[in-house]
Amino acid sequence: MRKWIKIVISLIFLLTLFAVSLTLGRYKIGVIDVLKVLLSPIFPKLATGIPDIARQLILKVRLPRILGALLIGAGFGGTGSALQAIFKNPLVDSNILGVTSGAGFGAGLALLLMRNPWEVQLSAFIFGLLAVLFAFLGSRLYKSTPLLVLTLMGILIGSLFNSLTALLKYVADPLDTLPAITFWILGSLTGITWQNLLPLAVITLLGIVFLLLIRWRFNILSLDDQEAKTLGLDPTSMKLIIIIFTTLMTAAAVSVSGVIGWVGLVIPHAGRLIVGPDHKYLLPISLILGGAFLLIIDNIARTLLPGEIPLGVLSGLIGVPILIALMRRSKTGW
Amino acid sequence: MNNTPFRLNLTFLITITLFTACVPTQITQPTSKTTSESEVQTITVQIKEPENIETEKPSANNRFTIVADDELKTSVAMLFESYFPGEAAAFVEKGGDLVVTKTYECPDDRPCIWATYLPDSVMIQQSENADIEEFITFAISPEGQEQLINAGDLPQQINLDDQAGSTLVIPQPINRVISTYGPATSYIYSVHAQDRLVSASYLGARDPKGSAVMGKMDPRFPEIMGDKFFTQNDFNVEQAAVLNPDLIVTSARTSWLDTAEQLGLDVFLFDAETPERLRDAMQLVGKLFGPHSRAIADAWISYYDGIASAIQEQIAEIPEDQRVRVLFTGTAPLKVASGDMYQTDIIRAAGGISVSSELKGYWNDVNIEQVALWDPDVIIVPPYGGASVEAITESSEWQILEAVQERQVYQMPKLVVPWDTPAPDSILGIVWIAQLINPESINIDCATEAEYFYNTFYNYPITEEELATICQFD
Repeated sequence: MRKWIKIVISLIFLLTLFAVSLTLGRYKIGVIDVLKVLLSPIFPKLATGIPDIARQLILKVRLPRILGALLIGAGFGGTGSALQAIFKNPLVDSNILGVTSGAGFGAGLALLLMRNPWEVQLSAFIFGLLAVLFAFLGSRLYKSTPLLVLTLMGILIGSLFNSLTALLKYVADPLDTLPAITFWILGSLTGITWQNLLPLAVITLLGIVFLLLIRWRFNILSLDDQEAKTLGLDPTSMKLIIIIFTTLMTAAAVSVSGVIGWVGLVIPHAGRLIVGPDHKYLLPISLILGGAFLLIIDNIARTLLPGEIPLGVLSGLIGVPILIALMRRSKTGW
Repeated sequence: MNNTPFRLNLTFLITITLFTACVPTQITQPTSKTTSESEVQTITVQIKEPENIETEKPSANNRFTIVADDELKTSVAMLFESYFPGEAAAFVEKGGDLVVTKTYECPDDRPCIWATYLPDSVMIQQSENADIEEFITFAISPEGQEQLINAGDLPQQINLDDQAGSTLVIPQPINRVISTYGPATSYIYSVHAQDRLVSASYLGARDPKGSAVMGKMDPRFPEIMGDKFFTQNDFNVEQAAVLNPDLIVTSARTSWLDTAEQLGLDVFLFDAETPERLRDAMQLVGKLFGPHSRAIADAWISYYDGIASAIQEQIAEIPEDQRVRVLFTGTAPLKVASGDMYQTDIIRAAGGISVSSELKGYWNDVNIEQVALWDPDVIIVPPYGGASVEAITESSEWQILEAVQERQVYQMPKLVVPWDTPAPDSILGIVWIAQLINPESINIDCATEAEYFYNTFYNYPITEEELATICQFD
């Protein structure tokens, strides 16, 4: 029971964080005004007297960005713990099968050829999926412990796409496309709007529901395949479905945010430190922690300085001390 | 070294040619100083037309007559005899076809450029005559410069501090230059020294429009465009050796300086990101390439200062808090120019306020909320990097800004070199912004200035269509 309480407390924390985030920003808007603006679609009278720009900022800029941070963070946390379970390896993150590298290449290619933000997102998504497909097909060439070969193929395909991205950077115009590619790869939530949030939200929410529904099975999947079979589960096809869902989620997230590493690797460990290794609890807490972590990081990134701070800078600076503090306090096994 | 007999040099040249044909890579690396110096000599000596050297007394000519200041007569006579061997300059007291003088003025208020063959000494053509034109061209060319050096009228070498603070001893004239830095290439073009370039990086010449105009400005452009070999980060040593430059000019932020130093090449560094340093850079380029280039550089500086002070005068009555607030964005809409960047300087010079001037460094990534907080009156996007007005006006999040709702988003023009970069052309960027943001108080016209500027400094007769596309405000 205590574990459930911890999850509920985290959820309340997340909702509070969400509300607080709406009031944060370079442009100062009071808490009451924020509330009024949020309720204004229902009670239009409330918004009178609030400057139009403040209303637009809350509804068109802050709200989609905050929701985006929650969804992407939750997605990375959830896929990270799912993949760590089925690969039986705590050092696995969302990029294990090369999604991020593929998406990075896809985005770079689109930035080089077209430039339209929508095309960049689509191209990143498609190449993210392609990378995993190649890794999967490649692993079929070799008949042995499939998971190990799949991991290896994922690393190989990831390196291949990293080399291709390096090639793109080499041919890119140093004054123009090169900075765009580099910035995209660094990762940022600056570009989130309602338009690009929609596909992300649909895919991520579907994925989250799926992972929550089958969270009981991760405990079995992290056992030996033989044992899983005796327990009445077909591990191979189950793993395949999980890989498809996590790939879709990661590709959707990365195609909006650019490469945000680290979250998928570390959040599941933070979750384990709080609720232990049982996936029944670990999965929900990873989702919540992932969302909360990315939201905190992004709040700092967008408010601290006039210039945006790259997420990669903050995730390590803030995440590592938190994780170390958790490790000192906790006694749960991995 | 200039007295070396011609025959020796010729033999040397033949040897080199044969040698090069057999072992190309080995010989092209200047392993010793002698090799590179001798090669340069052969080039200059070829022009001397040695078979006429023995002619005893120059005869009078019927090409054209010259009126010259007394103190300049010797140098003019010397130049004339070396260009028209066997003939003597015909000096007259009045009404000559060519006037050579130290006292001259420009036909109108703008700085003008006369052929300046010695410091402050100009040649002014008085009548239509192909011989005069050729002679003037010769007098201000590196070959003419060489003759004047031999005669002791110009120094054999100059000591010059580059913008990174090192002092270089540079033999004159400079015949072969590699520029690996786009702004420096534009300095060289605007002081009419582009014929000395053997390889150059260009600003704004990668897109089809820019490269088309560049090709019209300089037919050698496709041939000397050197991005394949030299950039700020790459230095192709073999190619440098093949080109055998007298001087390499580049940015102070270049990463391969040690490599070039080991080859024994002279590298002159530019670092001009502010108006003051740009003026210095132009002055230095003028000094590098001889009296004519120096005169053009001075003309550019007085033009730049004149425009800047005229604008300041015309907007003086607008109080500081009513100045137009400008946001200058970069290759992506949410990249903005920092206060350290030249864009901030030209906005100020044009009578505006750069809203992002508190930022430091290079282009800064910001979010739309910060832009909303700045609430600019006008947004300017640059003419490069795929930046476009549409990227802002068609984005839903930018609609929250009043400037976007009122369509106050403009793209900075360019002919070849973008007008917001610290290059000679940026004076037009100042004029354009001034006219854009203060149409009521500014009476300087972009099209008039652009026509004068490209005619004068790039020697390029700009067309009506080009003027119409670059000086537009919608």
